[in-house]
Amino acid sequence: MTILEVNNLKKVYTTRFGGSHVQALANVSFSVEQGEYAAIMGESGSGKTTLLNILASLDKPTSGEVLLKGKRLSTIKEREISAFRRENLGFVFQDFNLLDTFSLQDNIFLPLVLSGKSYEEMSRRLEPIAHKLGIGDILAKYPYEVSGGQKQRCAVARALITQPQLILADEPTGSLDSQAAEGLLRLFKEINQEGQTLLMVTHSVKAASHAQRVLFIKDGEVFHQLYKAGMSDEAMYQKISDTLTTMATGGVRHE
Amino acid sequence: MSRFFYAKLAATNLKKNAQTYLPYILTCMGTVMMYYIMVFLAENEGLGKMSGGFQVQTILKLGSYVIAIFAVIFLFYTHSFLIKRRKKEFGLFNILGMEKKHIAKVLGFETLYVGVISLGAGLLGGILLSKLIFMVLLKILNFEVPLGFNVSGPALADAFALFAGIFLLTLLNTLRQIHLAKPVELLQGGQTGEKEPKTKWPLVVIGTLSLGGGYYISLTTQSPLAALSQFFYAVLLVMVGTYCLFTAGSIAVLKLLRRNKGYYYQTRHFTAVAGMMYRMKQNAVGLASICIMATAVLVMVSTTVSLYIGMEDVLRTRYPQTIMISAPVSAQQSVESLQRSVHKVLAKHRLVVKDRLDYRYLFFPGNQEGGRVITAESKISNATSSLREYYLIPLEDYNRLTHKTVSLGDREILIYSGPSKYENDTLTVLNRTFTVKERLDSFFENTLEGSSISGSYYIVVKDMNVIKAMKATLAEENGDKPSDYNYYLGFNLDAGEADISAVYQDIRTAVGSDYPGSSIESPVAAKESFFAVYGGLFFLGIFLGALFIMATVLIIYYKQVSEGYDDKARFEIMQKVGMSREEVKGSIRSQILTVFFLPLVTAGIHTAFAFPIISKLLAVLYLTNVGLFVWCTAGTILVFALFYALVYGLTAKVYYRIVSWGMSV
Ligand SMILES: Nc1ncnc2c1ncn2[C@@H]1O[C@H](COP(=O)(O)OP(=O)(O)OP(=O)(O)O)[C@@H](O)[C@H]1O
Ligand SMILES: [Mg+2]
Repeated sequence: MTILEVNNLKKVYTTRFGGSHVQALANVSFSVEQGEYAAIMGESGSGKTTLLNILASLDKPTSGEVLLKGKRLSTIKEREISAFRRENLGFVFQDFNLLDTFSLQDNIFLPLVLSGKSYEEMSRRLEPIAHKLGIGDILAKYPYEVSGGQKQRCAVARALITQPQLILADEPTGSLDSQAAEGLLRLFKEINQEGQTLLMVTHSVKAASHAQRVLFIKDGEVFHQLYKAGMSDEAMYQKISDTLTTMATGGVRHE
Repeated sequence: MSRFFYAKLAATNLKKNAQTYLPYILTCMGTVMMYYIMVFLAENEGLGKMSGGFQVQTILKLGSYVIAIFAVIFLFYTHSFLIKRRKKEFGLFNILGMEKKHIAKVLGFETLYVGVISLGAGLLGGILLSKLIFMVLLKILNFEVPLGFNVSGPALADAFALFAGIFLLTLLNTLRQIHLAKPVELLQGGQTGEKEPKTKWPLVVIGTLSLGGGYYISLTTQSPLAALSQFFYAVLLVMVGTYCLFTAGSIAVLKLLRRNKGYYYQTRHFTAVAGMMYRMKQNAVGLASICIMATAVLVMVSTTVSLYIGMEDVLRTRYPQTIMISAPVSAQQSVESLQRSVHKVLAKHRLVVKDRLDYRYLFFPGNQEGGRVITAESKISNATSSLREYYLIPLEDYNRLTHKTVSLGDREILIYSGPSKYENDTLTVLNRTFTVKERLDSFFENTLEGSSISGSYYIVVKDMNVIKAMKATLAEENGDKPSDYNYYLGFNLDAGEADISAVYQDIRTAVGSDYPGSSIESPVAAKESFFAVYGGLFFLGIFLGALFIMATVLIIYYKQVSEGYDDKARFEIMQKVGMSREEVKGSIRSQILTVFFLPLVTAGIHTAFAFPIISKLLAVLYLTNVGLFVWCTAGTILVFALFYALVYGLTAKVYYRIVSWGMSV
């Protein structure tokens, strides 16, 4: 079943005073199946974050449409959009985006509190997640007191606790050392195996090689797609590297 | 690198940080201006020559000290705020290869620019405004306005020296901070780890006790004289209490709220409690300062305004009759000759006496302890609330004035002790014990009572023999005085101020020389000096009120700006996690409202609790019209609240602009 469908997405940024225009996305179309683990790659400035923000309904496209479980994002009323986002999407960011005013536990609870869940329900949901992520004993701490890897695991817990349809991750390993990054990727793989759909933007070939499918974006369009199918991580790694080299040297597009 | 480079870099820095430096420079200018004007007025020769001018200048001088102390603390505080925000910048300079001594040079230039601009513009503004303010002051004081415009050299020099000193101090303090800091620390700047604030229970306890103590003093102090000495302690306690409770108390309350899971994990309370905790940790001291300054403004303005408006009342309380003579009487200076002199003056002016009141009395102060009165001067204590003034009056005069026919034995008295009842059945004074025959509910009006700030006792004794005997005992205790007793003669006149003034002068010449130690008083004669003192206080109240308000505005502005930058990131995250823009806005609004109106509300409460003790203090200054004071206080609070709300509204705009800049959706 298709969970996310993106059709002819276009995004043009107009600077504050209406001066210059920047085309971040030209014409992006793709879809993500339920339970899939997809990665998006591309050069810096190719429009990845822009794309993710639109998928997350944090930003509006200039034209084109996004459907989540068949529902057009553009048809959701302004009033309902944050509740929709809260209930259907989970986010993991490069810089964690934890609030320094809350303890880790409260950071994880935040979306549930916004949905008006009771404390008992929240603790019940948190327990298995915290166990799986190995953050059970640091929950009372504050973000400044823990390591980058621990922060990122909390951010993951915050994304998971709402039991979202889709998890969006923007360079989740970008601020982590290789060991912590490895741990996070293993985690993503695990939760994907449990049925969670994941869409991850990354610069790291290593990270992308864990995904079942990699989309390459160039000049605001989907340039190429790679399917892992039965390949090993190593083989996938090699294929991604080759594709990136072709893209960088301006190779022709082949689908 | 040329010296020119640093000068230029300094200028660029100021421009780049205009959003925070501009208000700072404006405040410096304002403070310089106000200080110059205050010193200018305090030193102004023309003002000094006017009658009552001396008192006014004493008050203004006091005002200039207050401004000086305030300027040091306040500019130091705001400057440290500026530097805190810029530490990152210095760290960057440092890492980019600038040595600390180079940074010091840049900072030196910056301070120079700020100093030159503030002093230049401030002094210029001061010179221009001083004439206007001078005229306003003279108007308030009911003085003639002279022509001419002048600049005071000493005041300029004074202001220059003070503020050059302050700027130098702020520079040195900044250099000290930069010198001590490691580049990494500089880079991290203000945001070194958002540690969760600890609950400091001892501070909470101290704060609660201090505040309670301060309030208690205000509520329980009865005598105006005691109020005079207690007020200072009450102020001190309330200040300590405010600082402790704002810093530690607020955190303690928030933590208790957070411990209550059912309350804390509700959408509305969740972000508010955590947000408030963070804000209070950052701002408690600033908010407590605002609160105390606001209280100071409220108290200062409301009291000085009511004194000024209530001047007529004050004069009437202090001088119940138009002409009031009290003179020592002895064999050489008889009552009759005094009456003759006064009548001669009145005949000359063809005026008839109204509401004539005259009686003989013996006056002495003493400490009342149970039924005993301690009268020896060496043992009398001024500080305690047991200090009373005693007026012994012969029965003959009492019966005459009240049209009664009371009779008394040798050791019997009638006693009038004002609103507070005399509890004992006997009174032992000057080695004699009297039985109280009757406690009087009222006494004849227009006595000297109104002019006394401690409680007065009017004691009616059998006759002049008793008084003379007691006078003899008093003389043994405290050394002899030439007079036997005193004589009071007071009356009203149906005449204009000019006539009364002439009568007053004539009586002074006629009586004054013959009766050394006599006092001749008239509200007409006192009016000028009352205007001088109360007008001066009024002016000072308004002036300092304006200064404090300026300071409050600046602190609020800085808080909004700095919080805006910190909150921006926070609210972006909240939106990403699923808070709607409306929810974010609502959350911002409620937190900001709480933070900025907390000091105002607390200041209102402080003022309300200060009310009893201040109305007693005003009684010392002869203002007994409590109703007037209530209105003035209410009015002041209202005006201040409006002003505060306005400032809040304006600065909140800046805040929203910062927070919502680039906010998505
Ligand atoms: N708010 C904005 N206003 C104007 N232009 C923008 C804005 N956000 C992004 N852009 C521009 O759109 C383009 C795509 O930006 P985007 O952030 O999506 O790139 P990215 O692929 O995420 O890059 P990176 O890998 O460096 O994160 C860039 O050219 C960028 O300058
Ligand atoms: Mg990006």
